[in-house]
Amino acid sequence: MKKRKVLIIGLDCATPQFVFDQFLPDLPTLKALMGRGFWGPLRSTDPPITIPAWASMTTSKDPGQLGFYGFRNRKDHSYDALYFANALAVKEATIWNILSRNRLESVLVGVPQTYPPKPLRGHMVTGFLAPDTQSNYTYPEELKGEVEKVTGGYIIDVKDFRTENKKWLIEQIYEMTEKRFKLIRHFLVTKPWDFFMFVEMGPDRVHHGFWRYCDTGHRLYEPGNPYEHVVREYYAYVDKKIGEILSAVDLRETVVFVVSDHGAKRMEGGICINEWLQREGYLTLKEQPQGIARFKMDMVDWGRTKVWGEGGYYSRLFFNVQGREPQGLIPQGDYEKTRSELIEKLEALGDEQGVPIGTVVHRPQDLYRTCNNIAPDLIVYFGNLTWRSVGSVGTGAIHTFENDTGPDDANHDYHGIFIMADPDLPESLRGSSLDGVSIYDIAPTALRRVGLEPPRDMLGKVISAPGGGS
Amino acid sequence: MSRQGLAIWINGLPGSGKTALAQALEEKLLERGLNAERVDADELVARWLPGLSCSLSEWEGVIRLVGHICMLLARNGVVAVGAAVTPSEDLAAELRALIGRFVEVALRCPPEICRSRDTSGLYEKFSSSVLEGPDRFSEAWTGSPGAEVVLETDKESLQACCEKVLRTLEILGYIPESHGGEYTEEDEAKISKRLKDLGYL
Repeated sequence: MKKRKVLIIGLDCATPQFVFDQFLPDLPTLKALMGRGFWGPLRSTDPPITIPAWASMTTSKDPGQLGFYGFRNRKDHSYDALYFANALAVKEATIWNILSRNRLESVLVGVPQTYPPKPLRGHMVTGFLAPDTQSNYTYPEELKGEVEKVTGGYIIDVKDFRTENKKWLIEQIYEMTEKRFKLIRHFLVTKPWDFFMFVEMGPDRVHHGFWRYCDTGHRLYEPGNPYEHVVREYYAYVDKKIGEILSAVDLRETVVFVVSDHGAKRMEGGICINEWLQREGYLTLKEQPQGIARFKMDMVDWGRTKVWGEGGYYSRLFFNVQGREPQGLIPQGDYEKTRSELIEKLEALGDEQGVPIGTVVHRPQDLYRTCNNIAPDLIVYFGNLTWRSVGSVGTGAIHTFENDTGPDDANHDYHGIFIMADPDLPESLRGSSLDGVSIYDIAPTALRRVGLEPPRDMLGKVISAPGGGS
Repeated sequence: MSRQGLAIWINGLPGSGKTALAQALEEKLLERGLNAERVDADELVARWLPGLSCSLSEWEGVIRLVGHICMLLARNGVVAVGAAVTPSEDLAAELRALIGRFVEVALRCPPEICRSRDTSGLYEKFSSSVLEGPDRFSEAWTGSPGAEVVLETDKESLQACCEKVLRTLEILGYIPESHGGEYTEEDEAKISKRLKDLGYL
């Protein structure tokens, strides 16, 4: 197959039920791309979270191999040494590392987990783990001036996301997206590239901020509310912006991917995991907080604690093990027994009426080829991701319908999207939907299409039609 | 942005790991967006001068040729990675004076281990005048005076050797650092707040 340029359009959290079904009539650009190639759901990582998902996509390595399991990870087995998994945590070769080795040029904009910037053959504007635009968020460093000039002030991410001022929030999301696409178009025409990848975070922000207004099944939905069409309109807007940038791309010479790192779905509520652990006798605090308080390690009576948990779109549980943690309580011989016991109890967890919510619990060792660095002891998807985890204590209840940081309407889902428009695909295969494509398949496929053989240790396969047509 | 080139000169016995290190360095330098080219004396000779007798005078001619190529590359902004059995300190000094931005990497490895690794029969090809002598590859040899990096390739992994060379180049200011800095406390606080607001924590 002929070598081509590759463009990866990343839409964080873009979800298949919207792109391929409900909103498809409003997405003519994406529909046209689907008609030029393959498309379908894209199985995310476990967990299906921005970090590690985008890194897994661009390295074709699972979170255990990468050695990080979310945004924040334990540095060691002490109680409070944590680090944010930014670009410094990514030790495996990415698509652009491999291209650079082969003297091919890459341009990256807003790809998560690229801050702080590492050198490459090409140009990079890092993602939302850059502290702010005062930081050095580009490679090369002098690119920042060009970015600021072209955009009139680049927006790394929306500020004050928890605001109740939804009008202001959606305006911010649109402004962020507009500026990013303006920059992308500028780079497409002014920078040399063999590989171009960008990620727009707007879909994720819109889902979490506005799902309740659009989903008639959400418990807080009100018919006729002023934001009823916000999500659909935003998707249509992004589709239009994609169309605009594609006018700067020769589609006869370029393979275009549209991908997301995970999907989204309605959130029913939150499970206060540390309240539950206290109730079940696994966690003891030195004293009960006066009111709701953010869970902190110095609250914990370690001599009487076996397990603690973290909040987020999914939960990670950490065990206090003898000989491993400084004041470990669980004998090493009881480790697996404790895990099994917790799995059973968590999977039986009910909603506020006691009806089981279908929680799924994983041992990391069952999910990953290896578990580098400090993996959680258990990974928990409350309600199979229809409920989020709330780390706060002092809530007085296991179930909550307000996030400990403010309103949140949506959780993540296991499948994002992929579209792969390929000029060399036979006509008979164009428009085919494919099942069974995973996030690990994107990197090897992209490498093959720029004319490079994917490294053998990449987990994924090159995407092709059933029967091998590609 | 134009950048000044330089030559990395990897010196050592046949089988000491010059080619492997040169390949690894070239890859890492390219990954960092630098223009890099490998000029391997053994490969040049095998490809273009297969009938060479590898006497001392002929081999010195090869070294000067490789050095000249590295000089041309370096003056055009390329990081030239040269790999060659360099028979004398005088010759190494000559190349250093010719090229200017020059970093010598001396690979130490016991001759018996080098011989066992020698799959292309170079030991047999080189005359003893190339490999032996007072200032050539004895057990106490640490490269030419002023060799910037000395590696013990029988003890250190290829990855460790590569990282040592790259770190030396960074310290000397010949190549940029491989990444930006760690978060400050203030940065961490900003990121923590952002991620909490966004619901990730």
